[in-house]
Amino acid sequence: MNRHIVVLSLLVLGGVMTTTAFIMAFFFTPPVLGPAVTNEAGRILGYQPLFSQKIFYFHVPVALASFLVFFFTAYYGVRFLMTKEKQYDTRARIATEVTLLFVILTMATGILWTRFEWGRWWVWEPRLTTYFIMTLLVIAYFVLRNSIEDEERRATYAAVFGIIAFIDAPISFAITRIIPSSVHPVVLRSGGGLTGSQLAAFLIGLFGMLMIGYALYQTRVREELAHDRLEAVKAALEG
Amino acid sequence: MDPVLQEIYTLVVPAIPYVAGAYAILWVALVVYIGMTYSRVGHLEKEIAALEESLERRGVGM
Repeated sequence: MNRHIVVLSLLVLGGVMTTTAFIMAFFFTPPVLGPAVTNEAGRILGYQPLFSQKIFYFHVPVALASFLVFFFTAYYGVRFLMTKEKQYDTRARIATEVTLLFVILTMATGILWTRFEWGRWWVWEPRLTTYFIMTLLVIAYFVLRNSIEDEERRATYAAVFGIIAFIDAPISFAITRIIPSSVHPVVLRSGGGLTGSQLAAFLIGLFGMLMIGYALYQTRVREELAHDRLEAVKAALEG
Repeated sequence: MDPVLQEIYTLVVPAIPYVAGAYAILWVALVVYIGMTYSRVGHLEKEIAALEESLERRGVGM
């Protein structure tokens, strides 16, 4: 089957899956319960449903996707340093570009949740801080690239920087477990925390987002290849 | 929809703008990014096809 059709199919399937997760999250999964609601005598009448938790069904998938795509920045960085082939530098750059998109979306959706739940736009707690550092590192990757003229030197520095920058991703992922006092919720943990329908909606959203990430990456690779081809054709015409 | 869920949702209206805002930001950004990428790919491939046709007419091989 044509590669482009496979990529487009993954993109559509990812869109369908994330939309399905959205519908499941709002209409079928039970709400997560927050603080107890008591009467004047102090008797618990029930628990406050946390509607804002619905952000979780697309905030966490896009955050996990950002970690995974960022891994490919480091992976292709290593491949470039081993082979010095330009294609790996291009692939690392595209992976970082998709990471940047996902990081911005993670920050935007997370900040809205923080504003509602914690009453503030930003809290300097470990998860948010380490993720903010990752955002700055991703931006710095492009600043570094744009500041070096020589193509090979740029690719080498970017590869090294990408590998070092990626170290922050597992730290950011694990920080809520390393520092248990963190106020950020720990969603993925042993012993549950999610009911069957919540987990199903989350996993469907996660795999959908990963498919979208892969399709975006491949589409950008296709664009870069088309760009190289265009340059080659132009050179042939001029020569 | 489950009637209990429907009842519960009437208690959580204040969170709706934040949840809807987060969802809208996510999808608008993704759709715009995908649209722009596919549009650029389309233009590039059209340009390549036109230039390759011109090369063929000139009889230049690549």
